[in-house]
Amino acid sequence: MSEPDFASPLHHRTDRQSPRDLAIGLAEITDLGMIDLRGEPGDDRFLAAIRDCLGVDLPRLPRSSARHEAVTVLWLSTDQWLVLAPRADTPALVQALQVKLAGLHALVCDVSDMRCIIRLSGPEARMVLMKGCSLNLLAPEIKAGFVKRALFAEIAALIHVVDDDPDVIDLFVFRSYAEFAWEWLLRTGARNALVELYGEQNPPPV
Amino acid sequence: MLLITCPVCGNVGDETDFHYGGQAHIRRPASANPGEVSDEAQRDYLYVRLNPKGLHFERWRCDRGCAKWFHMARDTVTMEIKACYGITELPPREIIAQIPPSNPWYGFFDQRQAEPASTAAEPKNAELESTGER
Ligand SMILES: [Zn+2]
Repeated sequence: MSEPDFASPLHHRTDRQSPRDLAIGLAEITDLGMIDLRGEPGDDRFLAAIRDCLGVDLPRLPRSSARHEAVTVLWLSTDQWLVLAPRADTPALVQALQVKLAGLHALVCDVSDMRCIIRLSGPEARMVLMKGCSLNLLAPEIKAGFVKRALFAEIAALIHVVDDDPDVIDLFVFRSYAEFAWEWLLRTGARNALVELYGEQNPPPV
Repeated sequence: MLLITCPVCGNVGDETDFHYGGQAHIRRPASANPGEVSDEAQRDYLYVRLNPKGLHFERWRCDRGCAKWFHMARDTVTMEIKACYGITELPPREIIAQIPPSNPWYGFFDQRQAEPASTAAEPKNAELESTGER
């Protein structure tokens, strides 16, 4: 059997490294693996098994996340989580989870190649994202650790605020939409396309 | 534009963050043997839907939140959302009490409320089957 060989959905683009004239920092994150995890949150054995394996309690609050060393767990639903781990460690982690969860009503699946992660950074990152979705990213509750699915530029996406001082925001889009999202961010995130339309506004001069 | 709050995860969003799933509380003909179900009953189950002016009961999905289905009681004239409740639940009693006799839902929930818990569970399961989680 041949070994699967990972290739980024943006691998053929020449503007992947430090695109110029942008108001935001833009980078593709290729070294993170993703694990789709589903299970019964009311089952203590399930919760204990996850804690053993990942070293962290599953985030139970909607739109939250939890982190332990190199592993981050994003809340997707009341019974679904997305586990982020270094890509090289992901197969072993999937194996460990499957062993731990054997016999329980749970599902573990390696979905590392399902989505593309685009990292936006800098003080304008929220403004640029808000041009494409109905979410008020300037709301005070949107701090580091915030996770939400969103309709972004007409496509399904997941927003994860990795850090808020300064802002680092990961945008997860399905692999087949990666190029569209990248193009969209290049154009809409261009320095001369920047608008200061959101938040507190000065009254227009009379 | 409707502003909706998901009863499962508390996600607040406009209706583009949600997905409309048609009429709620559709009852599958209660028989394990398809031969016993009349053509009329099967037709009604598959195709015949209520179209009330006023209070209506619908299924919605929290697309940009928890991705779960839930139920909504909504007024089709004023667009007011009266209640959102769980996908395995019946509408709140005070909402059922508001259904006027002219509304096709009038009396729909009477029998199910009166049923003892053990038998009431059966049509609920049938209802879930027809929901078709996507
Ligand atoms: Zn929800």
